[in-house]
Amino acid sequence: MLFKVEKMRGEQESHTLASHLQLTFTGFYHENEKPSQNSENEQNSVALEVLLVKVCHKKRKDVSCPVKQVPTAKKQVPLNPDSSPTKPGALPSLAVSSNEFEPSNSHMVKSYSLLFRVTWPGKRDVNGLMNGETNENIDVIEEFPTRKKRSSSYHEDGEKTFVAQMTVFDKNRRLQLLDGEYEVSMQEMEECPVSKKRATWETILDGKRLPPFETFSQGPTLQFTLRWAGETNDKSTAPVAKPLATRNSDTATLESKPSSLKPTQAIAVKDSLTTDLQVRREQILCEPRQKLRIFYQFLYNNNTRQQTEARDDLHCPWCTLNCRKLYSLLKHLKLCHSRFIFNYVPHPKGARIDVSINECYDGSYVGNPQDIHSQPGFAFSRNGPVKRTPVTHILVCRPKRTKPSLSEFLESEDGEMEQQRTYISGHNRLYFHSDACLPLRPQEMEVDSEDEKDPEWLREKTITQIEEFTDVNEGEKEVMKLWNLHVMKYGFIADNQMNQACMQFVEKCGQQINEKNLCRNFLLHLVSMHDFNLVSIVTIDKAMARLREMQQRLEKDELAEKTSPAPTDEPNWENGSGIETPTSERISETDISASGVPKQNKRQKL
Amino acid sequence: MDTQGPQTKKAQKNSVAWRRRVKSEYMRLRQLKRFRKAEKVKFQFLANRNKIQEKTEMLNEEWKKLRIQPIPATPCIGQLSTKKCVVEYGFPEFKSQTVMMRTLNTVAGVPFMHSWSPLQQNFMVEDETFLHNIPYMGDEVFEQDEAFLEELIDNYDGVHGDRGCEQPPSNRIPHDKIFKAIASMFPDKGTTEELKEKYKELTESPSPVKLPPQCTPSMDGPGAQSVQREQSLHSFHTLFCRRCFKYDCFLHRKSPEPGRSCRSRLCSPLLSFHATPNVYKRKIKEIRIETEPCGLDCFMLLKGAKEFADQNMVKSQRPRRRQRRHKQPSSSASTPGEGKEGDSDRETTSSSEGNSRCQTPIKLKQSSEQPDSVEAVQWNGAEESLFRVLQGTYYNNFCSIARLIGTKTCRQVYDFAVKEALILRVPVEDGGISPQKKKRKHRLWAAHCRKIQLKKDNSSNQVYNYQPCDHPEHPCDSSCPCVMTQNFCEKFCQCNPECQNRFPGCRCKTQCNTKQCPCYLAVRECDPDLCQTCGAADHWDSKNVSCKNCSIQRGLKKHLLLAPSDVAGWGTFIKDPVQKNEFISEYCGEVISQDEADRRGRIYDKYLSSFLFNLNNDFVVDATRKGNKIRFANHSVNPNCYAKVVMVNGDHRIGIFAKRAIQKGEELFFDYRYSQADALKYVGIERELELM
Repeated sequence: MLFKVEKMRGEQESHTLASHLQLTFTGFYHENEKPSQNSENEQNSVALEVLLVKVCHKKRKDVSCPVKQVPTAKKQVPLNPDSSPTKPGALPSLAVSSNEFEPSNSHMVKSYSLLFRVTWPGKRDVNGLMNGETNENIDVIEEFPTRKKRSSSYHEDGEKTFVAQMTVFDKNRRLQLLDGEYEVSMQEMEECPVSKKRATWETILDGKRLPPFETFSQGPTLQFTLRWAGETNDKSTAPVAKPLATRNSDTATLESKPSSLKPTQAIAVKDSLTTDLQVRREQILCEPRQKLRIFYQFLYNNNTRQQTEARDDLHCPWCTLNCRKLYSLLKHLKLCHSRFIFNYVPHPKGARIDVSINECYDGSYVGNPQDIHSQPGFAFSRNGPVKRTPVTHILVCRPKRTKPSLSEFLESEDGEMEQQRTYISGHNRLYFHSDACLPLRPQEMEVDSEDEKDPEWLREKTITQIEEFTDVNEGEKEVMKLWNLHVMKYGFIADNQMNQACMQFVEKCGQQINEKNLCRNFLLHLVSMHDFNLVSIVTIDKAMARLREMQQRLEKDELAEKTSPAPTDEPNWENGSGIETPTSERISETDISASGVPKQNKRQKL
Repeated sequence: MDTQGPQTKKAQKNSVAWRRRVKSEYMRLRQLKRFRKAEKVKFQFLANRNKIQEKTEMLNEEWKKLRIQPIPATPCIGQLSTKKCVVEYGFPEFKSQTVMMRTLNTVAGVPFMHSWSPLQQNFMVEDETFLHNIPYMGDEVFEQDEAFLEELIDNYDGVHGDRGCEQPPSNRIPHDKIFKAIASMFPDKGTTEELKEKYKELTESPSPVKLPPQCTPSMDGPGAQSVQREQSLHSFHTLFCRRCFKYDCFLHRKSPEPGRSCRSRLCSPLLSFHATPNVYKRKIKEIRIETEPCGLDCFMLLKGAKEFADQNMVKSQRPRRRQRRHKQPSSSASTPGEGKEGDSDRETTSSSEGNSRCQTPIKLKQSSEQPDSVEAVQWNGAEESLFRVLQGTYYNNFCSIARLIGTKTCRQVYDFAVKEALILRVPVEDGGISPQKKKRKHRLWAAHCRKIQLKKDNSSNQVYNYQPCDHPEHPCDSSCPCVMTQNFCEKFCQCNPECQNRFPGCRCKTQCNTKQCPCYLAVRECDPDLCQTCGAADHWDSKNVSCKNCSIQRGLKKHLLLAPSDVAGWGTFIKDPVQKNEFISEYCGEVISQDEADRRGRIYDKYLSSFLFNLNNDFVVDATRKGNKIRFANHSVNPNCYAKVVMVNGDHRIGIFAKRAIQKGEELFFDYRYSQADALKYVGIERELELM
């Protein structure tokens, strides 16, 4: 769009030499004066004076920018003409030569604008007065006091002056007025000097002055058609400029408005207007200007303070996307600008949107969180897809589809929190190991490396604590340490687990018990557990039998390396089962019996 | 080489040339050595580099298969001359300096964190009466801080390091010079000699009180002695924690004397928090008496032996019971003297035997002589002790005892028992009790449910720590500590299992997560030894337990992650989504007394960060030094989690539960101020917020 405009500007500028600006005035509408209009015969035209205002560049000495006013023409413009279109030729028109827009010799002109001054005669005939009024090249600043004085004097006579100003070329020498039909809102010139109000259609939202739309519906307006004539350009390619646009609109608004908005617009139109006038006016406006005003009410500081901004179109104020419908606008705001909460409130003049900060907004980085912390360049060093933490972006969410209705944007009472939750769920951040604060890599996500029941320091602690005792012997200490580590590892919690725990202990640590020669101390441990009512006698028997078995196997393995001695059968020894062997000499002695008799035999005999 | 120098100097006293030569030679060698050392270091460095490189490559190769981002290979600076940085001077006299350049990449910062130790279960620590260090309050010292510190130090007995070195490093008496100097400086304090005497008197270590020989030599060792049962089992009995199933556990070892820091039994041999088992009554009296002889040489085949054993078992039933009851209190505090008096004569013989150390020939002799004469068998200290230990458990089941002793036959054991003349009478179960028991239990249970309700109703918010009660003579009435603190008696109490104050457990067949479950109602987790139907006692290995009211004890916590918080500092995040009211994690830390918490809290408040969490009226959990990842959960007035202090098998523990359904990756918050039990002491972040 912008590109198009730029192109046009270029075109226009190239053609300025050969062209002139043609203005054809349709009429001056002033609704407040309706009563007076009833006596239509006596008053049906107003005097219009068009001046070309050149704002020059400030020179060193100047306090403010010097302004030159070049009067171009004075015309009689019909007042509140009928809807029936008159012939274009019959309407007053004027032409401004494009030479006027050439840079003048003395001053560098910053911007050009057209100043329309309509003199409203009131009850009297104004013709005579009109003639007497000639302003030649008056510097506005100098003129200012006199004008003020005069305006008051006019007022006594019942005469009013309305002014409006439109920029033709802005200070960047960009053409602002394109071909099209315009309706200019006029401002009564009493208190406000022209110079201070160069852009009269800019709204000041203090409610005192009328906002633009009200001016359009009731205030005095001047309608005219603007053409840059003398060109061979094809009309179709030349952009039809939008008519008087509020500051926010761009060329996109020229597209035809969806019909759904019509009813809403009608609300904005004053009832007093005749329907045909309204229709005609809409046609003249060439596009159905949104009568819809959208008030953005910013709530902040815990909803204690607010600030209101209004817009007259359905453009998103944040990204200028034209949403074209109020519903779409609200949907867009809600989905794309989740940093804020938007609540729709119906408003007699359009819509109010309450904007507040979304406390639940998650502005976290959406890329691979690992990349943030890794070394520069690391993010691109990978070849091929790599694992990353799982994140779910909800791209399409299909809840039960309700009919699009504005009511869905109304502030809800209860489910509010649910709504504002982010649409990205999952591990969208970089995690750290709790021990060393090192970044957790994606492949380390699955296992919780820091939740072991027996962290190393605790294992060491229990060992040192037991080691600290001065009146516990080494054998006891060893069994206690082994047992503690065992309990810490498996986290036993119930009395009825103890039988199982003891058997498990034999399986896991039996080897060590045998190697460290702790069998009797282990037996003491078991008996102690029995004294505490935690294990049964059966468990003691079973555990010790298993330990003996393991010991015998160990000895057998050791012995297998040496020569295998001849088996001797000694039933007495079998009853006693395994034999404690504190000295190495005895190993061979006991093993003769142990290795000679298979386990099964022993059990049968027992 | 150094010694060589003077030697050569001596030999060639006059030759200056020789000296010079030696010196140069020495210098050369030294330089050579230095050079070699440098070379070696360089070589080692390069070797290490290569090793790292290899390892990295290996790892990356492996990870390539797993599709994992590779480790960036660090640029090898092996040649030590990649880039150099030169500093040049304007003055021509100064040489420009060159330094190897090594670029360090920026690493994104992480929030501040004090170091802490991971823990998955509470850890009780004693009060610190000495301030370990003066808290660091930043570089600038403000007046208010100084006032605060002074006040703080007043709370403690002293500051660590104030007393200088606490233990004199050696007994060496300082030089006389020092005493002389002191005497001249302070003439009123006495003469040099007097000072010296005084010093000796003061520094002399207090003669260690002769401890009763509580410590017996190891049973498996060569020096094993023949001692009484209580002595043999003393260490096991006193150190075992019946509640944690561990020896010298971390949680239940509150010292009876306040301020006693030494845990070693050197200080107080009999002071132990853990109840000794002798006071526990046997629930199941399972004594296996084998009626069949175990083999051809079983003692039962001896004339009269079986009858002897059986008779003793049946006849002396009544007196035995009475005897036991008398014995219980005394045996629990078994003094070493008592153990000694019975076997003083035996001990001497056994110890001499133990010292002889040549058991092999005896053994051999035994095996050959066994069938004929049993009298010849010698018992060593370990065997005798073991026999006494086992007899306390197995009574007259000599076959089993013999099997466990391992080195003696049952006949030998029998003979020894006869000799000991201490054949224990086996107490026989009184069988009439069990049918009655059930009926009574039913009634009890109904009464209990009412009682729980009652307790709930008039509960002031006072929650006291549970301590197993121990009053052997009378039942649990209003004088019982458990009743007084409005706690139930637990299985750890010394009272009768049918005690009126015991919690009966639940009989739920559902998940125990509603107030229908008496355990849940009483803010207790299901006890796996009491609640048999809900599943709290099943499926030890799997995480799918039907009972949802046993998560804390089983440690069924959720996988938590640590990341910088969206709110302040670090935060805790959850890996997997959870349902409402699901258990998330236990808030673990050091269990400290309320007094200690007050002292510590003062410092924490100053730091504006506190991990204190009221457990009950007696204790506070402090996760500052030890804790788990949930300690990083931040405070919120609109939290997604809540805290609840639950009684778990006799311990109060803090569970963090989901207040609503939580999605994966969400940060966890809970309200620091309120817990369901209203036991939370709010400190720290909340105040921080107020300040902000």
